[in-house]
Formats: sequence, structure tokens, C-alpha cells
Amino acid sequence: MTPTDERELLLRRVRSAVGKHGAEAGGAAPAEGARNPLAEDERLDLFERMFLSAGGVIFRGPMEKVMSDLGEILRTEGVAALFFPEDDASAREIAEALVPFGPFHLTTGAEVRGGSPAVTAGFRSAEAGIAETGTVVETSAGGRTLLPGLLADVHVSLLPASSVVERMDEALAALAAGPPRNISFLSGPSKSADIEQTLAVGAHGPRKVIVLLV
Amino acid sequence: MEPGAKAFPRNARKALSDPALQAALGRTTGRFLDHRAAAVAAFPEFEATRERASAIKLEALSRLDVHLSRFIEEAEKRGAVVHVAKGPVQARGIAAQIAREEGVALAVKSKSMVSEEISFNAALAEAGLEVVESDLGEFILQLAGEPPSHIIAPAVHKSRAEISELFSRRLGAPPTDSIPELVAIARRHLREKFLSAGMGVSGANFLVADTGSVVLVTNEGNGRMGTILPRVHLAVAGIEKVIPRMADLPAFLRLLPRSASGQILSSYVSILTGTRQAGDAEGPERMHILLVDCGRSAILEGKYREVLKCIRCGACLNSCPVYQSVGGHAYGWVYSGPIGAVLTPLLIGLSEAAPLPDASTLCGACAEVCPVKIPLPDFLLELRADAREQGLKTPGEIAGMKGYAGVMKRAGLLEAVERIAGVLVQFFTKGKPVEGLPHPFSGWTERRDFPAVAIRPFRKLWKARRGVRE
Ligand code: SF4
Repeated sequence: MTPTDERELLLRRVRSAVGKHGAEAGGAAPAEGARNPLAEDERLDLFERMFLSAGGVIFRGPMEKVMSDLGEILRTEGVAALFFPEDDASAREIAEALVPFGPFHLTTGAEVRGGSPAVTAGFRSAEAGIAETGTVVETSAGGRTLLPGLLADVHVSLLPASSVVERMDEALAALAAGPPRNISFLSGPSKSADIEQTLAVGAHGPRKVIVLLV
Repeated sequence: MEPGAKAFPRNARKALSDPALQAALGRTTGRFLDHRAAAVAAFPEFEATRERASAIKLEALSRLDVHLSRFIEEAEKRGAVVHVAKGPVQARGIAAQIAREEGVALAVKSKSMVSEEISFNAALAEAGLEVVESDLGEFILQLAGEPPSHIIAPAVHKSRAEISELFSRRLGAPPTDSIPELVAIARRHLREKFLSAGMGVSGANFLVADTGSVVLVTNEGNGRMGTILPRVHLAVAGIEKVIPRMADLPAFLRLLPRSASGQILSSYVSILTGTRQAGDAEGPERMHILLVDCGRSAILEGKYREVLKCIRCGACLNSCPVYQSVGGHAYGWVYSGPIGAVLTPLLIGLSEAAPLPDASTLCGACAEVCPVKIPLPDFLLELRADAREQGLKTPGEIAGMKGYAGVMKRAGLLEAVERIAGVLVQFFTKGKPVEGLPHPFSGWTERRDFPAVAIRPFRKLWKARRGVRE
């Protein structure tokens, strides 16, 4: 039996099964009702509230003040090395500006992927934010690496306020026409409650996720 | 996985007398229920979203052939290779062949219920591969050599002391009673595996027909790791996971985490489309999608097709008084709770799982919480009728039922029986449930205890309360 035959047989079985029910039940599902969109500041406030409730950390406001606070968080987390995508100028700028606040050194995604044992912070610009769920969207569009939000112990996501949308639908609609290989929704730190239903962070991904709303 | 669903009554008894399991179940199901209730209360659109999600699933199922072929076409257009397996044997064969042809020695796997159905890990192990479960709960169970006991919290029955003992025995880790430390041990061990694995194996929460995408919803991030880092990605999914459009996804994402754990959204949602694209920094060079039928097209044909709407949130488990009392293992196969009691007989045959539809009080709690509105209690009743029709009830049980019905239909007779029973229980059972009734009622107690008979019948109490003199 060739694979194509198996496939044809499956489709035939399914076709005959759905045929048994005739035309009853199951027309196109109704579309979502219309909604009144939130104003920009309400949208950003909702994003902040939801991201915090997902266990994230968020900074809004002038960057100079943010840098020292951010540096302190990274030090407390024991971060030694910072990395960012080569082609991400804003992420590079922030990471480089943070070096004096630590003892931090710069490293590369390749090194982290090679299994270097240093505690890391990964910096990256996000493509979008979703207010209803407190989510940052990072994708492989344009070939950009996802490692800073994947392998780092602490992830710092740079989110332009102008790219925060209210609902998931808007974020997906923008991507559905030509989806990149990887669309990742990140809502707070990596979590697990698999041991005695007790929440622990950093199961596989970052144990802390920080959004800089710029 | 070898079915053991026939042994439900025995398994259930064992579970009821296991104090550690009872403590774990009480802790877990209650917490899940509270979190779910709070999340639903804080989400005024819940009912409307449920309606919509149910309608989308019905739309998908009623033209599943069209949506499936669209999915296959779109996925392959973007570089994926789609395989189709009719049954578990074919599925295992295809999985092993993919691993061999891709030259993979180590695979990391994230949670997938359908892979338990087809005994996926065993197939790859036979093909000479090491398969590492990367979901923390599944990883613990793999080390312990046990099957999962809850859809979204597979290791609910294990205490931290047992896990620490397991980690030090199997991984050589120092013993600890700190949960964060246990999580860190697993993270270090699994991180190494992620970085060196040749293949990542995932399930799929949803398959999106109009883009050919595989959608994974996780909290730990293991699903992401395994589908970004290794050279090959293999996704295994039941054919019923297809939804027509990417635009349908938000409705399900709003329901699944709220129903499962009370979260607004799980930490990670990955939407994976095809292979790594030109210029991408990472992502798999090869993507295989294994679509599994394993009895689903047969379900689609009949009166139970709505059970295929299930999004595996686990809410019906947590809400079920039977699941709360006996846990997942008692059900004897991959799926437990009300969804298991319906799905297992349909997938492996009613004769292999005859006790499961009886494992319900028909209280209706499951239907109340189900985010896609599956009429689980109706299906359970219907399956009981099927069992009777297929001759799966013993003559003793049928006679017992008939006897019961005969008494219940006649008020005078019932009162007489109540009086006699009220006297008898004082001598024999001392207010405990009756485990074995005499003929012709013995059939009743073959699979269930007869409730304790009250010394004073309800109707007497009622009359006394309202001041009615007899
Ligand atoms: S039957 Fe409904 S409640 Fe139960 S797991 Fe499936 S979707 Fe969730």
C-alpha cells in the first residue's frame, strides 16, 4: 500500500462517514459579533494587567530609569551573560547599555545553544503584543532567531506600544496570509505544576519574562 | 497501550483504598475546579465562546473530508510531509520508518495522548531509538514506568518524596524535598537532551486547515524547544483535530486554558507551519505530520460523532465525582473520567470497556463544564443501552434491573420492601452499603453496591416533617 493510497482511503472513509449525516447540522459557524475597540491607553493598561497576572514583569516609562532597575533584576537572578539576535538593533542597544550595570558579559545565541553553563538573559524585539491575554508574539519572520525567548534563563522582550493589539484575532490575521514557520505566543514565564500541583517557574523556558514597553 | 478497562471495578476498589492517591486526587481536582470557576466567572464571553467553539467543531466534523484534504495540501505546500495511518499498527510502522529514514538516535517528545493510544514510544524503542518524554509530569512517569493518570496533570498521583527518590535512583541527583530544586534537576537533564536530539515529537492541540499549521499549547515550553531545536519535527495527531481556519483559533485558545487550569492563556502557544524557511535562523529542516484514524472515522459516522469535538481540557475529569474518587488509572486505558468513559468504548470496542459507561452517577457536572458542549451524560446512557443490546449485560444484572424497576413502579410494593429492608439492615449491614444482594437482585451488585437502606424511609420522614399523620 503506498502512502498516497492510504491517504485516499482515509479521505474516502471520512467522506462516506460525513455523508451518513446528510446535510443536517454543521454549516459554517457564525462569525464573532462586532465589538467596540478599546482606546490606546486602555489597551496598554489591559496588556499590563494581563501580563502581570500571567507572572510577567513589565517596565513602562523613560529608559534611563528602567536600565538600573532591570540591571538589578538581572543581578538578583544571577545572570552573567547577555545575548540578542545579530540583526536586532534595539535589542543590541539595550543589552550593551546594560553591561555597566552588572558584572555582565555579552555572548551569542550559538554559544548558548552549544550548551554554555552561564546563566543568561536573552533580549529580543517582539513582533506584537496581545492585550486580552497579556501575550508577546515572537516569530521567525524575516529569519530572526527565537533563541533569546527560548533558551535564556531570563527573557527581556522589547515591545513597541504601537504594536499592541487588543485581541488574538488581530494578531493572527496579520500573520495568517503568509505564516512564518514559527509563531510563538509567550505569556509570562515557563511554568509547571506537575509536582504536587505546586507552581514552579523555569521548567524549560525562561523563569522570568520582562517586557519593556517602548 | 494495552487496554485494561474491563478491570474497572477491581481497579476502582484498589484506588479507593489507596490513601496517598486519595489525598492527591482531593488536592488536585478541587484546585483545578476552583481555578476554572474563577476564570470562567471573570470572562463574561464564556458562554458565547462555547457556543461558537462548538459550532466550529461541528462545522469541521460535518465536512471533515474537505478540511482534512485542505490541511494536507497546505501543509505539504510549505514543506511538510503528511502520513496517514488507519490503525495503531500502521502508525507505529510509519513512525519507526520516519525515524530510521531520518537517521535519528534520540528523540524528545512533548505530551501527546494519541501517541499513548498507539504505543508510540515502544515502536521507536523497537526501532532502536531513545525517546525522552520532556513534559515534566510525563518525564517523571517515564522514569517510573507508569502511564499518565490525568490529561493535563499526568503525575498527580506522585508525591515529591517519591519523585526525589526516583530522580536520585535514575538520574543520580541528590535527594531534596524542594519542588523548585526537583524542577531544576529535570530542566538540566532535559536541556541536554533538547540540544542533542535529532528529532522532536509533538502532538497537536489543533490542526489549522487553511494554513496547514500545527498548534501546540503548553506551559513548560517543552513543546517549543522540541519543535525549534531538532533537525526533524514529527507531529502526531488524530484526524479530528482539524479546524477550518486560523481565524477560528482564538475561540479555542480562550476556552482551553481557562477550562483546563483556570489560566487566561497557557505560557506558550506555538503555531508551527511547514519546515524552516529560506534564511531562517533555526527550525526543523524536515517536518512530518502523522495523521491517525484509529477508529475516529467510524465514530464520525455514528450517533456519537460529537465526542470528536473534545479539546482534551480535562475539565470533565475534575468535575466528575467518580474520577475524583478513583483517579485516572482505574479506567484502564489512555483516557479517563467522563470523556474516557465515552471515548474508550468507542475506540477499543464496547466489549473491551463494558464497565466504563456504568462508571458515572449521571449527575451532569461534566456536561456543565465541557467547553465544547459534548453531551457526555446522554452518551453514557446511550452506551449503556448499546451494551444491553449487544448482549454485554449478564442475565443476572438484567434480572436485577428488572426486579428493581418492578418494585420502583409500584408504590405499595416499594413501601412493603422498604419496611422489610429497614428491619433487615438493622441486623445485617448496620447502615453500610450492600455489596451482595440475594437472588433475584444479585445482578445489581455484580458491578455496583446497593446503597445503604435507611431505617426510616424518606417518605416517612417527609410525612413527619410536614406534620402529616399516617
Ligand atoms: S469532553 Fe469536554 S470537558 Fe472533557 S476533556 Fe473533552 S473538551 Fe474537556
